[in-house]
Amino acid sequence: MSLDPDLVELLELIRVSESQDEPFKLNQHPVKLGISRNKANELLETAIRSRLVKFNKNIFRLTEQGRQEVQKHREEYIHDKYIHKNNFLNRLSKIFKGNIKDWRNHWRREHGFDENSLKEFYINIRNLENRIEEATPLEDLKQEEKAKLAFIIGGRRLVKRLTEMGLTPGTEITVLRSAPFLGPIEISLRGFSLALGRGVASKVFVTRFNGEN
Amino acid sequence: MNQRKSITIALAGNANVGKSVVFNQLTGLDQIIGNWPGKTVERAEGRLFFEGYTINVIDLPGIYSLSTFSIEEIVTRDYIATERPDAIINIVDASALERNLYLTIQLLELQTPMILALNQIDFASKRGIEIDFEKLSEILEIPIVPTIAITGIGTKELLSKLIGVIEGKIAIPKTKIRYGKEIEKHLEKLENIVKNKLKQLSKRYPSRWIALKLLERDEEIYHTVLESMNGKQVITLTNEIIDQIEKVHGEPSPIVIASERYSIANLIAKEVTRVISPPRIAFRDRLSAVTADRILGYPILAIVMLSMFALIFVVGDFLVSILDNFFQEILTPYVEYLLSSSTSPIITGIIIAGISGLGAGIAIALPYIVPFYIILALLEDSGYLPRAAFLMDKLMHKIGLHGKAFIPMLLGYGCNVPACIGCRIMETDRERFLAAFVTVLIPCAAVTVIILGLVGRYLGLLTAIALYLFNLILIFLLGRLAYRALPGEPIGLIMEMPPYRSPSITVVAKKTWARTKDFIYVAFPFIIIGSIFLETLMMTGIIWSLVEFMAPVITDWLGLPILTGIPLIFGILRKELTLILLSELSGSTDFAQILTPIQMIVFALVTMIYIPCISTIAALIKEFGWKRAFGVSIFDIILALVIGGIAYRILTFATL
Repeated sequence: MSLDPDLVELLELIRVSESQDEPFKLNQHPVKLGISRNKANELLETAIRSRLVKFNKNIFRLTEQGRQEVQKHREEYIHDKYIHKNNFLNRLSKIFKGNIKDWRNHWRREHGFDENSLKEFYINIRNLENRIEEATPLEDLKQEEKAKLAFIIGGRRLVKRLTEMGLTPGTEITVLRSAPFLGPIEISLRGFSLALGRGVASKVFVTRFNGEN
Repeated sequence: MNQRKSITIALAGNANVGKSVVFNQLTGLDQIIGNWPGKTVERAEGRLFFEGYTINVIDLPGIYSLSTFSIEEIVTRDYIATERPDAIINIVDASALERNLYLTIQLLELQTPMILALNQIDFASKRGIEIDFEKLSEILEIPIVPTIAITGIGTKELLSKLIGVIEGKIAIPKTKIRYGKEIEKHLEKLENIVKNKLKQLSKRYPSRWIALKLLERDEEIYHTVLESMNGKQVITLTNEIIDQIEKVHGEPSPIVIASERYSIANLIAKEVTRVISPPRIAFRDRLSAVTADRILGYPILAIVMLSMFALIFVVGDFLVSILDNFFQEILTPYVEYLLSSSTSPIITGIIIAGISGLGAGIAIALPYIVPFYIILALLEDSGYLPRAAFLMDKLMHKIGLHGKAFIPMLLGYGCNVPACIGCRIMETDRERFLAAFVTVLIPCAAVTVIILGLVGRYLGLLTAIALYLFNLILIFLLGRLAYRALPGEPIGLIMEMPPYRSPSITVVAKKTWARTKDFIYVAFPFIIIGSIFLETLMMTGIIWSLVEFMAPVITDWLGLPILTGIPLIFGILRKELTLILLSELSGSTDFAQILTPIQMIVFALVTMIYIPCISTIAALIKEFGWKRAFGVSIFDIILALVIGGIAYRILTFATL
């Protein structure tokens, strides 16, 4: 059973407010969600009924179940954006195998995450400053586009290596150019240039600059 | 009694900041310098005398951090942490201060006396960056010397400051890099735990450093701690602290520490840097855009490679004809004339063989090798190689490697030995071996001598190029096969792209000389001894039983004249020997009289593939052990015979 995408997005928004220690305000969010106020109220009621959200002392909070839903959503999003985007066969196998139920096992078995990598991966996606949809793999950026680093997924070695080359969360990155046929990408950061292979660049998640921030 | 005091200093810094240049300035040794990250794969040592001191200088490999994720980092960290040099010179690229300071901070945390060489200040000011080094010195509390290593500016001052530090005239306080309050609180707590519980270990390393490494989940320190007394307890406490940090920051603890360190580096860099002119699109930026361009980059790469080989061919061919003439027509007859009256014909024969071997080495090998080294040095020093690696990354992935492997492969066209060692720029053992496996199949300068000197000269440049192309296809196919056969996941490309520099004539000249010298030292003894040995075999007649033994393979399978069996055996010593010996055996340098066009091609193909020369095998053994080295050698011999035999049949059939 999967949830209404609008509902999931609402849960995402509550999660983001929580991790920034701000109370979740309903009246701001219909706009962000692109739905009417009534629809938003309806969604919230559904969420409370399904015990995904609790309403306590005028504050909406996620229940444990709600948090799990958000995490599952984030994992799914990254999974699709991360390796399976360009791979037709993998998409096909997804249709046959159906949805992944045990994510932990999936990351471990299919993507070679060890315990520590897995732990760091979950820490990374637990507390995001923005909805997961704001995060894009670096490889999707166009030439000259600027972005801020959100998080890196992958084995511990890769993550540590990139971090030590200066790719720490919040670092400003400009895409300089990319090689053809899905070749590597050259970026500039902290006053120097770095070439990243396509595989590496698909594991680096960034938030695009929208001009104002 | 020796009055001199002996001290040891180590050079440490990021890759590609000019460490090797500083090393050469200090010691006068010929450490190979190039504008691509990761040349110093093994630490180089040199010595100099200054103000009554004997200073041993260790050039450590270029690294970005003191973790233990690559061979280079392990070498550097082990050296600094356990062998404790008297002082470190941290060489920093002034034009990328922030990233360089990341390592500087880590070196400071190891609490070894240190001074900082702010290198390439000329290049930084060209880019409009000015650094207040006095302020930087105040902040870091260590002496700082601005240097331009290429011209030697600052080297003297570096040495005298260094002596000052070592004699205690310049006091260096134990600089304490302060992290954010939150982290600092945990760090101090853990430091106290380490100090109290791990008394032994705290004597070896600074306890604050151990605490930091524990928070960074450094595997090596983790295991060392686990094995010491109270280790388990410390690890449990560490895990508790890490949990707290991760809860507060929402990021994994190693990333929190790295981020904090980078923000310190960022703050310091901002504090001392003044950007005078805003960075504009300078010529070198445009050059860097064009040469790595998704469309224009490839024709440029092709032009660079082709003109490199064409130039080598033209220059080499010209030099060969002049030098060969000198040895054949003037020197040999003259020596023969001198000796004929005084010594026995056997000794004369041996001496003449030695001289003509030497002559062949100089006349046939060097003319192709020296121009290659010059061009390679130009490409290296300018910074073009990483662009080529960038463009070739995708193709390299097809054989399970990434773009960086293109650099050792290109080096392989010069000599397979440095290329094999250059494979260390690859990150894992699997990739290193894979890269070496394909690199060994690259025709080195010695093979180029055969291809150009035989096929190129007699059958035309196009046929020679066809052989090179065939070789590339072969490498691609074999690489793909090996990639499938070797277990493990391929690793992605992470490579710094250094800005372009105009190559320095001195550096290029020095580098060419150093490499040529190495080549002469390694190759010439083999060439001379091989020639004399061969002459002895000829005179005693042993050679004919050898040839008879090999006849079925050489004549029946490969369709070559029986004579070629001997040079093929001796080619194992040095591949250029094959051509040289062939000319000696037949008593002529006109190969058209000895070999038919088909035989030339088969001969060139076999020598191109059949075995890495003995020095390359030695390099392979050193890097990968006996088993794998011999595995590769035997595989290559069989492969060469198979391909040679098939080529002979196809070519004969096609020309019927």
